[in-house]
Amino acid sequence: MTEETTPTDLDLVRGIKAGDERAFEEMVERYHARVYSLSYGVLRNAEDAEEATQDTFLTLYRKIGTFDESRKFFSWFYRVALNQAYSRARRRPRPTVAIEDYMPKFDGTGHFTSPEAPDWAPGVEDEAAARELAARAEQFIAELPPAYRDVIWMKDVEEIPGVEIAETLEISIPAFKSRLHRARLYVRQRLAAISRAPAKEEAAG
Amino acid sequence: MNHSGGGPGCPPNPQPELTCERLVLDKLLEFEEGAMPEAERAQFRHHLELCPPCLRFLDSYRKTGRTLRMLKPKDIPPALAKTVLSFVRARSGKKER
Repeated sequence: MTEETTPTDLDLVRGIKAGDERAFEEMVERYHARVYSLSYGVLRNAEDAEEATQDTFLTLYRKIGTFDESRKFFSWFYRVALNQAYSRARRRPRPTVAIEDYMPKFDGTGHFTSPEAPDWAPGVEDEAAARELAARAEQFIAELPPAYRDVIWMKDVEEIPGVEIAETLEISIPAFKSRLHRARLYVRQRLAAISRAPAKEEAAG
Repeated sequence: MNHSGGGPGCPPNPQPELTCERLVLDKLLEFEEGAMPEAERAQFRHHLELCPPCLRFLDSYRKTGRTLRMLKPKDIPPALAKTVLSFVRARSGKKER
């Protein structure tokens, strides 16, 4: 490795397979933040996310020999990271919401049943209010069933391309889009509710 | 909010096949991704021009996305890369560099 050329993921994979410690260090440098953030998305806890990140790289180190180089590295590695996080998450199962309860409602002719469409947009223009909403949105995402939670976290927070997410989660592109849209509709609905009636939400929460 | 017979908030829609329900549940993501054919896109825009509830819904959907992007980046523990390397080396019999 030289400073002039940036090795590809595959270069690093081959280096690690050959026992090149610098290749492993570079891989850690390249991916540790993403793995941590991905783990955090599942576990919602900094300490757990850090431990899951360590386990993910240990698995990478030990199992890199099983990686099929005809596949894309990121999808294999994200899958390793998710599996580590899922394994920890199972030790502390959390209740999840019924997403159907938060979908927009329509009447038999396809019109909104609510007399007024939610309009919480003005509040987002204020920086402090926007940050507060973002913090609440994170809580709402945490309550989603994992199939939705992971998709919206990876796409809208991590900003991982949809194709990569579908490959990592081993789902079709239409399934990815469907889950993403429904997860967004859910978060939008929850944010709209607290923006319309903050006092009521606070009292409930 | 009635396209075919008149109702509060949404005037009659000359293309009633694109209901609020279809727009929100089936078409919104495609529209936002820019992947929608132009003719369908025009129909979508036309609905929005006539339907304040759907326009507000689209606005709040977009602001949801912007709100979520504020969550990035997560605060990464500052010494995480070193911690990971030490952890892996300790468990794989490698010496610290």
